[in-house]
Amino acid sequence: MRYVTGVRGILVLVLALLVSSSAQADELVPDDEFGPVLLIEAIEIHGNTATQEEIIRRALPIAPGDILHASDKRLRNARFKVLALGYFRDVNVAMRKGSQRGNVIIQIDVVERGTVVLNKLWFGRTPVSPYWLGVDVGERNLLGLGIALGGGFIYAASGGVEGDRNQWAGEIRLADGSLLGSRWGAQGSLTLVHGSEVYRVQGGEDDTEITNFRAFPYRRFGGRFAATYDLTALARLGITGRIENVDTELPAAPTQVLPDGRIAAIDLHLEPGESRIVTAGLTFDRDTRSDPILPHAGGRLTASFEVGSSALASDYDFATLFARYEHWWPLREERHTIGLRLAGGVVTGYAPRFDRIYIGDINRMLTPRPLGLVLSNAAPIDVLSTRGDKPSYGDLGGIATVEYAAQLFRGPGKKRVYGGDLFIGAGIWGLAERDDYRLRDTGFWNALPVDLYMDAGLRIDTDVGIFELTIANALGRLR
Amino acid sequence: MRALLVAIALVVAVGPAYAQDDAPELQRMRFIERDQNLTVTTNISKLFDSAAYEGLQSGFPSTIVIATAVYPRDGSDPVTVGKEVRTIVYDLWDEQYVIRIEGAGGRKTKKVKYRAEALKILTAIEDLPIARLADIPFEDIFYLRLTVQLNPVSKETLAEVRRWLSQGTGGGLDRGGVFFGSFVSVFVNPKIADADRVLRIRSQPFYRPKP
Repeated sequence: MRYVTGVRGILVLVLALLVSSSAQADELVPDDEFGPVLLIEAIEIHGNTATQEEIIRRALPIAPGDILHASDKRLRNARFKVLALGYFRDVNVAMRKGSQRGNVIIQIDVVERGTVVLNKLWFGRTPVSPYWLGVDVGERNLLGLGIALGGGFIYAASGGVEGDRNQWAGEIRLADGSLLGSRWGAQGSLTLVHGSEVYRVQGGEDDTEITNFRAFPYRRFGGRFAATYDLTALARLGITGRIENVDTELPAAPTQVLPDGRIAAIDLHLEPGESRIVTAGLTFDRDTRSDPILPHAGGRLTASFEVGSSALASDYDFATLFARYEHWWPLREERHTIGLRLAGGVVTGYAPRFDRIYIGDINRMLTPRPLGLVLSNAAPIDVLSTRGDKPSYGDLGGIATVEYAAQLFRGPGKKRVYGGDLFIGAGIWGLAERDDYRLRDTGFWNALPVDLYMDAGLRIDTDVGIFELTIANALGRLR
Repeated sequence: MRALLVAIALVVAVGPAYAQDDAPELQRMRFIERDQNLTVTTNISKLFDSAAYEGLQSGFPSTIVIATAVYPRDGSDPVTVGKEVRTIVYDLWDEQYVIRIEGAGGRKTKKVKYRAEALKILTAIEDLPIARLADIPFEDIFYLRLTVQLNPVSKETLAEVRRWLSQGTGGGLDRGGVFFGSFVSVFVNPKIADADRVLRIRSQPFYRPKP
């Protein structure tokens, strides 16, 4: 019943967003059209050597046989619709006379660019892993078909925690955002993780000596599949499914010696031996930022609801809801901006360990978990002196940050640099386990697993990527 | 904490310095009171380079958006703002340029034979109303700022074009990092400008002498 209520809430949210998105209008151009009436006799496409012509034709808002005024919005948008594919460095449009009066032939000249992209680089060192190195790459236009193929691999050396091992993980992904030019898209991925999870058996939160930890090995293999539907040009709905097999060797009865000498049992949130996770879910994404790299206006909302159930042949009955919202308000003609970022999640039921919220997910001053590998045992920096033993995993977590960014420079990209921003941000993050408040022997404030997050630095936007030189980024690679 | 303070200091010190990059160019303009309006006469021919000029005969529409704002000499908030949109298309079959001008003065359509004539109409600003006289007190000093864009791209279209940047090749098993992570990492990053060209100019200071 609880899940049904959650689904209903998400649908209401989606509908509300659709209403608000349809209220936005392009204010720059007049609505009505003028100029000669044209009949598009043919559309000629030149310059595409790798990309199939059909992919470009599908993206165009015009087609042979269309009758429209010369000022029609579809003609104005034609160039941008092709650019939005992401496969071209430049697109030029023109028209010439057709075979009879009133007919025109549209000419589209494209300049292709490389579509192999380096999505992520992972590297760093921590006490748990003396070095870790990984890469995630993608080809956005596989064989010119408009299909995106991507994959990543990471290797992390063992740091000597009892029970751990060298970790590695690999992933391959395939996505087509527009099946046969329709609003429907499809995504799929396969992931294999050969990992070991570290857990504390003794010592206080700040004591990261590896003798205070043990580890257990596990193997994960599974896939996630999604069908997507573009509700509008800026909003996308997805239906997802996941099948995953987990194989783990759990300790018989793991315990932790607390700083006061008591011994407490540890729940590792996994079934011993082999277990299966099967889920179904719903995702929503609406992105109105005019620039996803250095945003100074607009916003983005993403949400994901996922449920795993024995009715789906899953060994885990649980549900997760994650949402993220960010909005940017321009100041002083968009040279400065104030941004608000809210991200949060809730996990209910008996969720597997990997589906719970990890502290590195919400606190960027800690090492994240690339491809699901946990690579650090560092405790969060204690700024507010709230609860000392903050959990590594939780059922309820989130972060709220406010960021101020100042435009350092903007350029046309002639020197391969488009712009740079200086920014400073601060916020509150929190991560709690369900039992934190049911069974507590301290005051509310001291039991509150929240703390402060701060970051500052420089972002440079270049034609080979975005470079972040920030305090949190550095801390996340070394602690 | 020291690093944070350094970053704050950098933002404060460097931000305003670089903000001058978009400072408008000074251009002399003529202001005339007509009926109840204050009008301006000037030109924006610098908006067009050879490529933009060639583009006029492509058959596809070109749009110029002229935004006006009258500022008090020592103020940062405009006392009045306005906008005029000029759109041109080339009629391939009748071999003429059709220009539509829409602004405070209503809508006008002009047809001319030659491209040079079309350019002159597009770039001439003649007696363009910029404020009601009632909004411009006598003896107070103001200046006019013009922001002129050639083929501006709406924010919605821009977001659509750039959206692919934030779309990867789908997601893997783990979703947590995707939701809480701060930034996308993209290592190929073509940029689409907000407009083909932008011209920012400001007038000399002016005032209305008492009659």
